Parts: sequence; C-alpha cells; structure tokens
Amino acid sequence: MSPRETVLRVDWPECRARGLCAELFPEKIQVDEWGYPVVLGPVKASEERAAKDAVDACPRRALHLHTT
Amino acid sequence: MTSPMIHPMIRPPASVDVHSGPLLLSGIDRGPGLAAHRARLGALPEPGIQSLVTLLGDVGVRGRGGAGFPLSRKLQTVMRARGSRATLGGRRPYVVVNAAEGEPASAKDSALLDVAPHLVLDGAVVAARALGAREIHVVSSEDRPWVGAAVHRATNERDDHGIRWVQHEAASRFVSGQSRALIELMAGRPGLPVTSWAPEAVDGHRRRPTLLSNAESFAHLAAVVLWGLDGYAAHGTPEEPGTSLLTLTTPPASDGVFRGVHVVEVEHGDGAATVLDAQALGSPLLVGGFHGSWVHPRDVPALEWSNAVLGEVGARLGAGALLSLSDGSCAVSETARYTSYLAGESAGRCGPCRNGLPAMATEMEGLAFGADTRRRLRELAGLVTGRGACAHPDGTARLVGSLLTTLDDHVEAHLDGACACSGSGRAPRGERPAHTGTQHLAVQR
Repeated sequence: MSPRETVLRVDWPECRARGLCAELFPEKIQVDEWGYPVVLGPVKASEERAAKDAVDACPRRALHLHTT
Repeated sequence: MTSPMIHPMIRPPASVDVHSGPLLLSGIDRGPGLAAHRARLGALPEPGIQSLVTLLGDVGVRGRGGAGFPLSRKLQTVMRARGSRATLGGRRPYVVVNAAEGEPASAKDSALLDVAPHLVLDGAVVAARALGAREIHVVSSEDRPWVGAAVHRATNERDDHGIRWVQHEAASRFVSGQSRALIELMAGRPGLPVTSWAPEAVDGHRRRPTLLSNAESFAHLAAVVLWGLDGYAAHGTPEEPGTSLLTLTTPPASDGVFRGVHVVEVEHGDGAATVLDAQALGSPLLVGGFHGSWVHPRDVPALEWSNAVLGEVGARLGAGALLSLSDGSCAVSETARYTSYLAGESAGRCGPCRNGLPAMATEMEGLAFGADTRRRLRELAGLVTGRGACAHPDGTARLVGSLLTTLDDHVEAHLDGACACSGSGRAPRGERPAHTGTQHLAVQR
C-alpha cells in the first residue's frame, strides 16, 4: 500500500481560466500561457489549508481535492 | 488571438473490403444471418460471472477501443460495484456496446457489425446474463448509418429472453466515441466528453455500474465462450492468445475520404508481411490511428502484430488502425494534415485542448513548410498532455511527438529540403502535396 496522497484535480470542461486558484495557492498551481491551471504535484499536509482555499474560491467549482 | 484556421475534413471510408479470418471473421462467407451463425457455432452458452471472468482472464482479452484495458477486470469491477443479488434493486448494471468508431482511419467495428453482427451481440448477451443486466445499448455513428441498420436487422432476428435492446446514434465526430461521451449521449445530453471521477464500470449509465466496451471486445468475449479456452488460445501466442482486427489504409485522398480500405483479422504474433506488401514494408507506418504512433520504415519489416513487439518500437495496437505511407506521401505533411484535422475535432470544452491543438496544428503546418518549429511543438505537446476530460489532447500530442522522435531523420531531411515531397521548404502556402489515394496494401492471407 502506498501512503495516502492528496491531489488537486481540474474539471477541465468547467474551468474558464479565472486564475483565482493560482493566486491563492501559487506553491502548487501555476497558469499556462492561456491562463489555465498547471498543477505541480501532490498537496503536502502543510499545504492543505491553502489548497482548500483555492478549491473554495473557484467560481466555476472546477477544482477538486482528492485523497487517494 | 490566433487567426481562424480551416481544418481539413477527413471522413470514414464508404466501402471496405473485409477478408476472411481465423476466428471473428471465419464465417463471413455464410452471411450475417442468425440461422447460419447458430448452425455454425451452436447454442450460446451462459457462463456465470466467476467462470466468465476466469475464462477472459486466462486468455487475457483486452478492450479493442484503444486503451486496451483487460476485459476480465472491467467485468469484476462492474460486479463488485453492483453488489449481491439481494441488494441489486437500484444497482442493476447496464451493458453498452461501443460501435461509434469516431476514428475515421478505423473501419473494423463497422465492418464486424456488417458481416458478423451476432458475434458482437452474443458477447453482449453473455456479459449481460452474467452481470444480471437487462438492457443492452448499442451506439453506432451517424456517419456510418449502415452500422445502425445492421444492428437493427440483427436484433430483430434475435430472441434474447429478458433482454431489451436500445440503439443510439452518436454524432460524426472524432471524440463522440469516447466512453464518457457515450454516457452523455445516452443520458440525452450532447454526446461530448465530460470529466469522470469514477470509471463507467462503477458510475456509468444512470449512475449505475456499466460494462461499456468496444464492439470488437464483445466479439472476442463471445469467441472465447463459443470456441472455448483451447479453441480460442489455439490462435496467437502463449503471452497474447487470440486475434485482432486491423484496418489497413493509406492517406485519405484530397477530398478527405479513405479509399481502398481493408479489414483483416490477424493472429497475435503474425508478422508484418502477412498484411503489408513490399511497398508498405518499406514505408512509415502509423499504428493506432490518428492518436497513434509512427513506426520507422527500418522497423516495419520486423513488426509482429502483438503488443509485446509493437511496444519495443513505442507503438500499441490500440484500435488496430494502420495507415501506411506506401503511396509515397510525406510523413511531415501528413502529420500536419492530421493534426489540423484533430484540432478541428476538439469539442472545444477544455481550455488546453481548445487552445493547444490549434497551436500545434499551426506549428505543424510551419514544419511542413520548412520552418523548424520542433522545440515549440514539443513544448505544446507537453502542455496539452493529461489536461483534458478525454484523451484527445494526449492522442494528438502522441502523434506529433512520435513524428519528431521516431521519424526524426525524415523531419531533418524535410527541413533540409531533401524530402521528395512538394511541401518541403518552399511550397507556396495553401498548397499541399498531391495525394494519389492509390491502394498499395495487399492482403496476402
């Protein structure tokens, strides 16, 4: 069994590149040249607060936290 | 803003030559009727779920829609998700036969339903009975209307007690055959890919466990049951028993229509020369259709139709669509044309695909006209991969990436103006190499 991992997933058809997620959680979310999020690896325990803020801030509800 | 781009149209073949084969295509001389089918293969057995899973696992049948997921594991997942008979109530599974074949370079599913529909439908019935499903949905495509008609004729002939057949027609679009797009279509929404957080086997039609697989996959399921373990495994290799359907094509003509298309059934482990003629054996080969990978001419003669051997040159059988440049077409120009087509086929719902694929098409066009856009193409391929609701951006990136990697010597020659094609270097914009559309793939079975 691999240890539990928390990851951010984007609901791509819902995402409209508003960019709030990257502003709130720049440690793990950057934007590409068109403004869409690029997720940089799994979320560490210390980052979960910021990750949740980014998820909650999305006006399209297109960002999701998944624990595998 | 990028300037608007006119994407080339590419359409599936209007007619296909289907050749007799060892298993799935062994009875095509007797016609597609049910009586001949039963007379040849006997009554349809009804194995329970455990023996069916074991049987399919033993011969390692994989899905034939492109992803190649083991069918036995898909069945197990549906069974686990549906639970025991006591709690079946609202979790009764569905079976979905995917014959949408959105890939225009593929014609094997439509051909199969045309010549041997009952083998496909038998497979769906065996699965439905084992899973306790009562509804079987068959999805074909509106740009191949004869497939829906063939399914309609065949289901009318049958008397599958307790089974209800439901037919759907997907829009003629590359991504319409994607599994989630089918679930959307069946729900009455536009049949386009959406994000799925769980596989269809767990959360499919009406949110119930759904066995959704490609038409050819169901025919293999039926073949394993009808021929038995030994009869099925008498074909192919010990590692990859059985057979695969292949669609053999050359580039579509300038009107975008594939001509001279052949559908054949090969045993896994058969050599390239069983289906490719001398010219095709010395030409670049696109394996796996427009989402597939180029194989270098030096590697083509030693190819075998097995995932083990294809894997060594970075290719996969996928849905079995083989496109040979045996007509002398240029790999760079053709890849540019297909990339542009694929960009036009994006549903446009996911940002990276909507923006990235047209950008890739523009850069591929630049490469075809002699500009060294390779660095930017690699960057774009990396940028779109894994960032969509379906595999359309990934597949397009794979096509472009394999050109740059596998056929790098051809790309170099093309950029040096040493490529024989008229697109090299100095062709005026808007002009493309002529495509003869002649047929050079001989079937030697």
